[in-house]
Amino acid sequence: MMSAAEPALQIAALSAGYGRFDVIHDISLRVAKGEAVALLGPNGAGKTTVLRSIMGLIKNRRGSIVVGKTDVSGLPAYRIASGHAAIAPEGRRLFTDLSVEDNLVLGALRLRRDKRRVQALLDSVYELFPVLRTYRKRRSSFLSGGEQQMVAIGRMLMSDPELLLLDEPSIALSPVAVDLVAKALLELRRKGASLLLVEQRVDIAVAVCDRLYIMRHGEIVEETTATMAREDGFNMIEKYLG
Amino acid sequence: MLQFILSGIAIGAVYGLIGMALAISFYVTRVINFAQGQIMMIAMMITATATAAGLPTAVALVLGILSAVIVAVLSYYIAVKPILAFNRFSFGWLVSTLGFAVIVENGAAYVWGPTSRPFPQMLNGLSLHLGNAVLTGQQVLSIAVALLLAAFFELVRKRTLFGKLGVAIAADPEMASAVGANTSLVAVVAFAISGVFAGIAGVLIGPDTFANPYLGHTYGIFGFIAMMIGGGTERPVAAMFGGLLLGVLGEGANALIDSQASDWFPFVVLVIILVVTPRGLFSGGGLWERAWRRALPARREAA
Repeated sequence: MMSAAEPALQIAALSAGYGRFDVIHDISLRVAKGEAVALLGPNGAGKTTVLRSIMGLIKNRRGSIVVGKTDVSGLPAYRIASGHAAIAPEGRRLFTDLSVEDNLVLGALRLRRDKRRVQALLDSVYELFPVLRTYRKRRSSFLSGGEQQMVAIGRMLMSDPELLLLDEPSIALSPVAVDLVAKALLELRRKGASLLLVEQRVDIAVAVCDRLYIMRHGEIVEETTATMAREDGFNMIEKYLG
Repeated sequence: MLQFILSGIAIGAVYGLIGMALAISFYVTRVINFAQGQIMMIAMMITATATAAGLPTAVALVLGILSAVIVAVLSYYIAVKPILAFNRFSFGWLVSTLGFAVIVENGAAYVWGPTSRPFPQMLNGLSLHLGNAVLTGQQVLSIAVALLLAAFFELVRKRTLFGKLGVAIAADPEMASAVGANTSLVAVVAFAISGVFAGIAGVLIGPDTFANPYLGHTYGIFGFIAMMIGGGTERPVAAMFGGLLLGVLGEGANALIDSQASDWFPFVVLVIILVVTPRGLFSGGGLWERAWRRALPARREAA
């Protein structure tokens, strides 16, 4: 049913990497509008590289990436960031010299002339993570890991993009913070966001996403749905993740 | 004593402007533009030529500063962008910006000849007496313009979206591009702003030095020292403080050690400061701020 819907992301035969070496080979995947898809796999499988390619942070050597109706392969990152896709990257990568609110407002760089829309987006981020409103003037480096992850997710939402990319949002967080992040992702889904989630924790991926792709050695080796993975008792996933 | 401090601040303000010019372009691109002194020199030569051609001083000054902006932007496109496009972390720019400096300097010497040309005097005949010390109107102008520019720059950096974008690019250029920053365009703007600073430095010092194609070299080096001792690589305005300190130390060395001591003394100070506080005196983690934090422990809480 989902695959018949309009795509938010369509990747066909993508190969990309660093220097002369391809890290990912011949990747094809699809995220429908309003769908959440997880990329699972062991360390070094190339999950982050897929997200970086979509965002234009590394050049893809072959294949195509279409976000919504736009072919973004070959576009520079700042053009892709102008409403097509946005990323909450691995390690959060906040602008630590700046306050929480400055980080968020920079996320809405493309909308800078539309002050009302930026304020509305800011309010919606504060609604999702009320603690950020309290700390909005605080330097982002003074926040806890969980709060920093909230800023990273908030900054991603501020450009109001067609596609959300999240790279291990639960990594190195306390159980309470992981819970908050997972709840926020479910809330984004409820609002109809399309997202591609890279995650080490299968429980979170299955709780948030409809479909799962499993990567190994730079290739997609399996595709399944969250329901099927649950019914199978996660045996198949564990076989690949070791 | 007061005299050399005041004269030092006046010349230091000019070093500070060149230091800030270096720091502003470094801030965004992580490249030290070794042609900065030559960019300053171009402003002087164009101003001198325009005045000689009969243009009013104000017009000549604007043309001079504008030419510095153009050469600064050219230096980005010719000596910086191709190198960074090849490899963001290479040090090829060390050679390419130095090469650009040599070409500009020799080109200027070819066009204008190696001798000094007269430079329009501003605030002629005005002077300010403070006790036994005297500052010429030109020196007062240098100090006022430099401090105002430094304060204005800091205000823009801290309070405007463009300034914050600069902070973001300085910290993590890749992430900045992932939030939609056209980092190449911001780099061009940063080089243009650095051209404004260098150009203004040139027209402020011109009445004292006259216009000579070989002046860029010396001032470029002093600007570099100003940036390094101040800690301008992390916070451009720190280069202004570094420049003021350098100016006072240089004039002090001339007055107290030997009339040529300003040629070598600043380098001794540079080495000592970089050993004691490698990030510079006035940078984020510099000696000055550490002392300040110790004195006011509550400040961090308030932030």
